[in-house]
Amino acid sequence: MDFSFTEEQEMLRDGVGKYLEKNYDFETRQALVRSEEPWSQKAWQQFAEFGLLALPFAEEQGGLGGSISDCVAVAELFGKHLVIEPYAASIMLAGAALAASDDGPAQDWLEKVIAGEAIAAFAYEEGAGTAAPDMVAMIAEPVGDAFTLTGEKRLVVAGGEADCLIVVARRGEDGPLGVFLVEKTAQRMEARSYTTIDGRSAANIRFDATPATLLDGAEAALDRILAHAIIVQSAEAVGAMGALLALTSDYAMTRKQFGVPIGTFQAVAHRLADMKIAYTKARATLLYTTAMAESGAVKPRDIAILKGQVGKLGKAVGEAAIQTHGGVGMTDELSVSHYHKRLLACDAMFGSHDYHLRVVGQG
Amino acid sequence: MNIDFAPELEDFRAQVAEFFATAPTPAIREAGRKTTSVFAPFKECMEWHRILYDKGWVAPHWPEEYGGTGWSVEQRFIFAEEYRKADLPPLLPQSLGMVGPLLIDIGTEEQKAKYLEPILKGEDFWAQGYSEPNSGSDLASLSCRAEPDGDDYIINGSKIWTTYAHHANRMFMLVRTSNEGKKQQGITFLLLDRVDYPGMEIRPIVGLDGFPEQCEVFFEDCRVPQSGRVGEENDGWSVAKHLLKHERGGGNAASPTLMRYCERARAAAAETLSPFGGKLSEDPVFQRDIGELEADIASLAHFEKLAISGHEIARDPAFPSMNKTINSELVQRASTLMAQVSGVDGLARQLEALRVGSNVEPLGSEFDLISMPLYLNSRATTIYAGSNEVQRDLIARTVAGS
Repeated sequence: MDFSFTEEQEMLRDGVGKYLEKNYDFETRQALVRSEEPWSQKAWQQFAEFGLLALPFAEEQGGLGGSISDCVAVAELFGKHLVIEPYAASIMLAGAALAASDDGPAQDWLEKVIAGEAIAAFAYEEGAGTAAPDMVAMIAEPVGDAFTLTGEKRLVVAGGEADCLIVVARRGEDGPLGVFLVEKTAQRMEARSYTTIDGRSAANIRFDATPATLLDGAEAALDRILAHAIIVQSAEAVGAMGALLALTSDYAMTRKQFGVPIGTFQAVAHRLADMKIAYTKARATLLYTTAMAESGAVKPRDIAILKGQVGKLGKAVGEAAIQTHGGVGMTDELSVSHYHKRLLACDAMFGSHDYHLRVVGQG
Repeated sequence: MNIDFAPELEDFRAQVAEFFATAPTPAIREAGRKTTSVFAPFKECMEWHRILYDKGWVAPHWPEEYGGTGWSVEQRFIFAEEYRKADLPPLLPQSLGMVGPLLIDIGTEEQKAKYLEPILKGEDFWAQGYSEPNSGSDLASLSCRAEPDGDDYIINGSKIWTTYAHHANRMFMLVRTSNEGKKQQGITFLLLDRVDYPGMEIRPIVGLDGFPEQCEVFFEDCRVPQSGRVGEENDGWSVAKHLLKHERGGGNAASPTLMRYCERARAAAAETLSPFGGKLSEDPVFQRDIGELEADIASLAHFEKLAISGHEIARDPAFPSMNKTINSELVQRASTLMAQVSGVDGLARQLEALRVGSNVEPLGSEFDLISMPLYLNSRATTIYAGSNEVQRDLIARTVAGS
């Protein structure tokens, strides 16, 4: 057994970490969120140069043949720096769906995604906190060799900017699931873009008999794709939890009340201890689940445990950090509130902790 | 990253499981199922101890030269997992887990020669005399006094929460030998060869669950030999701190026991009626509760496995305190859920039916018999071995400035 990052993974982390320290400090990030830009094109190109956009894909597809633990090693840093670039959405989800299909158009799009020339988005959520693919209700009607999609997908991260959409829908009423490709230029599609509470660009997208192409073979990979994306999203959340713990302990040891640092009060000290326990538990589960996924041993229940634990513990850490910071923790100015909002978003996407913990209980 | 145990470990697992399936007597199995505490029923527990000794498996965590098994940490984890799956009574911790390892580390050759073998064989059972009525987690405030007199000490005072002292034939204890300087500096660590010295009296205390598990021990001008001292006079604090490493540090995985509790709760819930109709196991609230608990237990298992793999998590100075806090609170939550599943059937006081070999039929299932005593007994897990408040103080110290 070995749950540590390898030397190569540490080197990659070191490189990406240094870049983010220098170019992605909190103020720069806030200026970016407030700007018209959905995210930093410069950062995305830099990620391409680090090889991150190619990381999870097979070498014969132009990727680097990286493992899920490579992605986790980097994603913790994305969480630590509250990165708003759509890595999980465009690479782990939409990119992976393109990679799972042998179809020509899928391969062409994948090439562009890996090169950082195109953005792909993953349209999955339908408003109920969809976690299990079985719950996807949207229907694709067959029209000759192609399909048309009707209905609405929500919280499509990078959906307003995407050059192509990967849409999960049912092939006819009560039919099997299919993964569909919709190009940005498709007709009868309307995207309403917004910024999420954690600073990311997302869209609700209405389809009204919108032409779509079935990506053959991708649906068989859907469970694995979702599992890996949940692991990477959980890594972002754990990175955010670690950052919150460090920030909050620094604050508690410097902020004085009644003449002494507030961290010397037992009530505050015990909250810090609970934050550390929560972070340690969440990180242990992240690393263990990652190792299971890497060895091919991960089961849906293990993913539900990870998602449930990270969601529940992350929310608790965020709330404890705000309480410890007091009034200033309530402000938009401090990163604390933004970490908390990232944790809330990670919890809500692909099924909240309430959902996943009940799944665990169902056995 | 790599999750796998080496393939030969699966053979080891099969070998352990086979032994656990065949070696224990029916009474030992019954004792295992009726264990409602960290401390298993004494008589059957010691019989099982002897069987494990004869097999050479009684002290997996001891160095091989002293009678340990020479197993890797992975083998020890597998052993613990199979042990719990078989519902066998856990061995008592004071002798094998505390005083034995302490003597191996810092005892004299004479002490090792005299005490280790009887511990392994289960001939000796040691009580731990640490706490006092006014010294719980603040152990340094203890006041039970030992005055040197010739080759002896004369002890006056009392000890409390000395688990199973009424079964013990030996006792290790902390006594105050000086009031000079810092309160930690006047403490001495003593081994008592007997528990029936003149002037020594042991009185059992009946606990919440109705059982006399704890004891109070009184000393009145009790004369014991100074040769039982471990370390120097007034240096007992460092000896006790050394021992604490064995008490809190784990090495004994808790997650397999907790998972077993959940399995038993699940099986019982599938047979229990929900007040809303149907079976309790189908109730969404029950599913959410047990799911939350099992997910938390899984995280403890992950934490334990990272630690045994040598991950940096185990080198965190907060590791022993986090380990103690997490698993003690999970024992409470698991037993709470068990009592909740039992519901009204957990309310009958059935001390006689709980006795191993009893001819009194339990009123309900065996699960109902044990769930309430386990719940009541486990209120202690967050109090003993340094209360969880003390553990959180220690953890917080490692957070500051991180």
